Amino acid sequence: MKKMSRSPHLLIESRFFAASIAIVIAALVMWLRLWQLQIYRGDYYRRISENNRVRKIDVPAPRGMLYDAWGKIILGNTATSELIVVPQYMKNPDKTFDVLARLLHQPREDFAKKFRRAKSQPKFMPITMIRNLSLHEVSIIESNRLFLPGIEVRTTARREYKTGASPHTLGHLGELSPTAMEEFNAKNKDNPYSIGDLVGRSGLEARLEKYLRGQHGYKLIQVDAFGRASNQNQQDWDLPMAPAKPGSNVQLTIDLELQETVSKAFSGKNGAVVVMNPNTGGILALTSLPSWDPYMYQRGLSQEEFRAMTLDPLHPFMDKTTAGEFAPGSTYKALVALAALQEGVATPNRTFVCNGSFSLGSQVYGCWKKTGHGVVNLQRALMQSCDVFFYHIGIELGVDRMAKYARDFGLGTKLGLDINPERPGLVPTQEWKMATHKEVWAAGETPSIAIGQGYNLMTPLQLAGLYSAIATGGKMWKPYIVKRISTPEGVTLDERVPILVRTIDSITLANYERVREGLEAVVMNDEGTGKNARVPGIRIAGKTGSVQVVNLKKNKNQTDVSILWKEHALFASFAPVESPEIVVVIISEHDDKGGGGASAAPVAGQILNSYFELKKRRAGLAIGAAENPITAPTEVTEHD
Amino acid sequence: MIEPKDQMVGVGAMAHAPVLLVPGQAIREPTLIWSKILMAVLFILISIGMVNLYSAASGTNLFWSQLKNLALACTAFYICGWIISPRFYNTYAYWIFGAVCVQLILVDIIGGISMGAQRWLKIGPIVFQPSELAKIAVSIVVAKYFYTSRLANPYTLRDLFPLAAVVGVAFVLIFAQPDLGTAGVCAMIMACQLSFIRINGKSLVLVAIGGFTVVLAAWFFILRDYQKLRVLNLINPDMDSSHTGYNALQSFIAIGSGKFLGKGFMAGTQTQLQFLPARHTDFIFAVFSEEHGFLGTTVLFVLFVTLIYMGIAIAKNGKDVFSSLLAVGMTGIIFVSFVINTAMVLGLFPVVGVPLPFFSYGGTAMIVFCSAMGILVSIERESLDLFRKASPFQRKAASGRQARRKP
Repeated sequence: MKKMSRSPHLLIESRFFAASIAIVIAALVMWLRLWQLQIYRGDYYRRISENNRVRKIDVPAPRGMLYDAWGKIILGNTATSELIVVPQYMKNPDKTFDVLARLLHQPREDFAKKFRRAKSQPKFMPITMIRNLSLHEVSIIESNRLFLPGIEVRTTARREYKTGASPHTLGHLGELSPTAMEEFNAKNKDNPYSIGDLVGRSGLEARLEKYLRGQHGYKLIQVDAFGRASNQNQQDWDLPMAPAKPGSNVQLTIDLELQETVSKAFSGKNGAVVVMNPNTGGILALTSLPSWDPYMYQRGLSQEEFRAMTLDPLHPFMDKTTAGEFAPGSTYKALVALAALQEGVATPNRTFVCNGSFSLGSQVYGCWKKTGHGVVNLQRALMQSCDVFFYHIGIELGVDRMAKYARDFGLGTKLGLDINPERPGLVPTQEWKMATHKEVWAAGETPSIAIGQGYNLMTPLQLAGLYSAIATGGKMWKPYIVKRISTPEGVTLDERVPILVRTIDSITLANYERVREGLEAVVMNDEGTGKNARVPGIRIAGKTGSVQVVNLKKNKNQTDVSILWKEHALFASFAPVESPEIVVVIISEHDDKGGGGASAAPVAGQILNSYFELKKRRAGLAIGAAENPITAPTEVTEHD
Repeated sequence: MIEPKDQMVGVGAMAHAPVLLVPGQAIREPTLIWSKILMAVLFILISIGMVNLYSAASGTNLFWSQLKNLALACTAFYICGWIISPRFYNTYAYWIFGAVCVQLILVDIIGGISMGAQRWLKIGPIVFQPSELAKIAVSIVVAKYFYTSRLANPYTLRDLFPLAAVVGVAFVLIFAQPDLGTAGVCAMIMACQLSFIRINGKSLVLVAIGGFTVVLAAWFFILRDYQKLRVLNLINPDMDSSHTGYNALQSFIAIGSGKFLGKGFMAGTQTQLQFLPARHTDFIFAVFSEEHGFLGTTVLFVLFVTLIYMGIAIAKNGKDVFSSLLAVGMTGIIFVSFVINTAMVLGLFPVVGVPLPFFSYGGTAMIVFCSAMGILVSIERESLDLFRKASPFQRKAASGRQARRKP
């Protein structure tokens, strides 16, 4: 190797040149690749890097608030923390859920199930895993953030219920299921729901969902690779954002202070209370018992609890103010009296003799007072709730004529108080009996109809409507509870004006007056059955009612029987008689304290007392600020 | 071709004519000019590297820790460049290699575990990676082998077998850690050195076939799952952005988003927001690319290529086979690390743990790279006979060379 021997190093000289070329080529390849990444695809990667550091965070909107007629918050919001998962930022869901399950001592499957359920929605939409986290849980999650990619704790609003307000009226929220979500979103394309969003399921929350829900907002935050918010170099750019729009606020006709009295006075009983302004149809207070703890749904309800509640014979989930159908009992007598007066069957002076019972054919109908009331005219019959008097005029009127007037007063139809499902009640007629029972109306059934038993069914709201019409001389106002809906900024979206459904002028004002006198005697006369409802200084009219649920043997002691066999205690009233402004209807199911006069009337008395006390107090406040008088709410001043 | 004149060897005042690495051209006498350029470029690279590390490691104290490592590295650079003569490595080549192998064995037995591999050795307060030292040790052994067993004919496989057997020990030990990256780098440094040696063509074919077999065997028997995944990621990094290809993808995003001018110092979002993994070690090149763009990276390339070119120049003017091959090896350490690291960050090579010289955080690597540079300087000084006084071997070696030259 001549060439090699010439080389002092035994290295191949030419290789040095080749090495130089190789180095340059290697560097050139890298450089071209660099050109490809930074120049040719630079914009592409710049865009990715922008998305990489900026994360879209969903900001839930607080639901709108409910106010009472006087501006007090009935249903507000309070801050809470919830655990959400954003699928697109998750690295390994199974592992993350394992960690989460261990940290929070909850079954892993709970998380996995919710996660799977939301598979269909876009990956950037958050899934709510746990609501109402405790402070302790929040700190646990925050300190383990590194092991929980895609998991966030966000502060959001939850419902805060004021005591006294009826959960049935306010309603409850529930999580949206995937199928329901599709339905909802078909209607709301511009403001879609995501899985796990809370929506109104009952009551006003459900009825006013579109106003209350608001609109989710979003904000973009700069995050590091672990999903931690970072504000490094934040000054360099403005991140776009859309604030969450809170839901609209709703003012109700409810008077919260009165409502609280109602809840207190009626507590311990089952059934419903409706307090209404007869001059507008505005609902002042509503209660249906038994109900539920409004926070029950926030805590979460176990299967067993839910089952127990649905199987409860007293139906805690039913809003009995509109869906509870009861035999009106003696409170129905006011209607029969009106019909009889108008039809000439009864006159103020026509009398019947009550000796404790009434015979029709072979059948004997007893008066509630076995010793009898003696000679009774219409006023006395109403005052003492004499059954025999009404058996007589009921027979003379006949079932169909009674039904005609009942229909006029809105019985047998839904009144349209749009809160919870409403039942129409039942006004029996001969035709109805034929159609449903395929039987001819038996004459013996008419006397029970005349005293509000038998087939008769009314909802508490219908009863309130009936007494409103009697109080106002035949004016039927459509009952309503939503007074005004306004945006959080205060722009009124919808304001309800009272709707007069009809004026029942088939009955003369004089006849209304006569019945009102009779009803006033029920409370104001010392012999009246409803004297327990008295309020000092106020003329109150009312009618008691006690409805047999089961035809018990007369000598059987009421206290011995099962609660479900006990009588309903009813009381319907309005005040003040000279210019009625409040109607109170109490239906106490299976009351163990006695009939309408003994058990329901005192409740009505407390409610009426509270109403007039409040009125006096508010008027006093108004006088105190005489230079700048506060305008009284429309319900109170609408009429007269 | 002009034979180098004897009297010129060892003469302090040299003609500083540039050496063009063109075959057939006259080999001019080496001058210290290469070392000066090398040191200037090294100074610039280390400065840029430290500034870049400051950005990459913001929020940690790694920068200050690296500053301490740099002080050690500078000391090593001086010792290797001015105190220890290449002759020393020549004499004690196998002892050095043996010492490194002992360290490697110790790592396998008692080493600290990092990222699923045992790489660290802790002796008292000193923590270091023997596998980094192995790069220099292997170069020394290869140079020594060809210095001692000189053949007139091209080397055959049989001639190379003793070398393979010795170096193989180090490979096995590094592989066992497992440190695929360093093992590969050592092999490539060796390949760089071998490429300057005349090797029998048949042997090359055999080596190629053998190499292919080894790769296949490695894939099925030796490589661990995470190492295989890295290779697979190279094929398609977008495959699974949140798992194994995450590093590569984030690295692309960082580099690509830098565009022409970069996002500016300390303003790389991929880096500062910690999207970029291993941003102060393996992926530090991506940090630089993101913050300084195509322009800055081009300058960086020019600097590295210049540095490597200086190494080649020194190697060409080496005093003897050992010095030249050692210089090639030292240049190879920088070249291979630079190419593999950038190729890996640019997605042209699997993600292996190879640091970018002078940029990546790491004490041992910094010291090894600076020592390599120091050795290059010492080789040029040796060829200028500047070690005459310092080294007792110098005169003997020089006379030995003269004796060989003139039969």
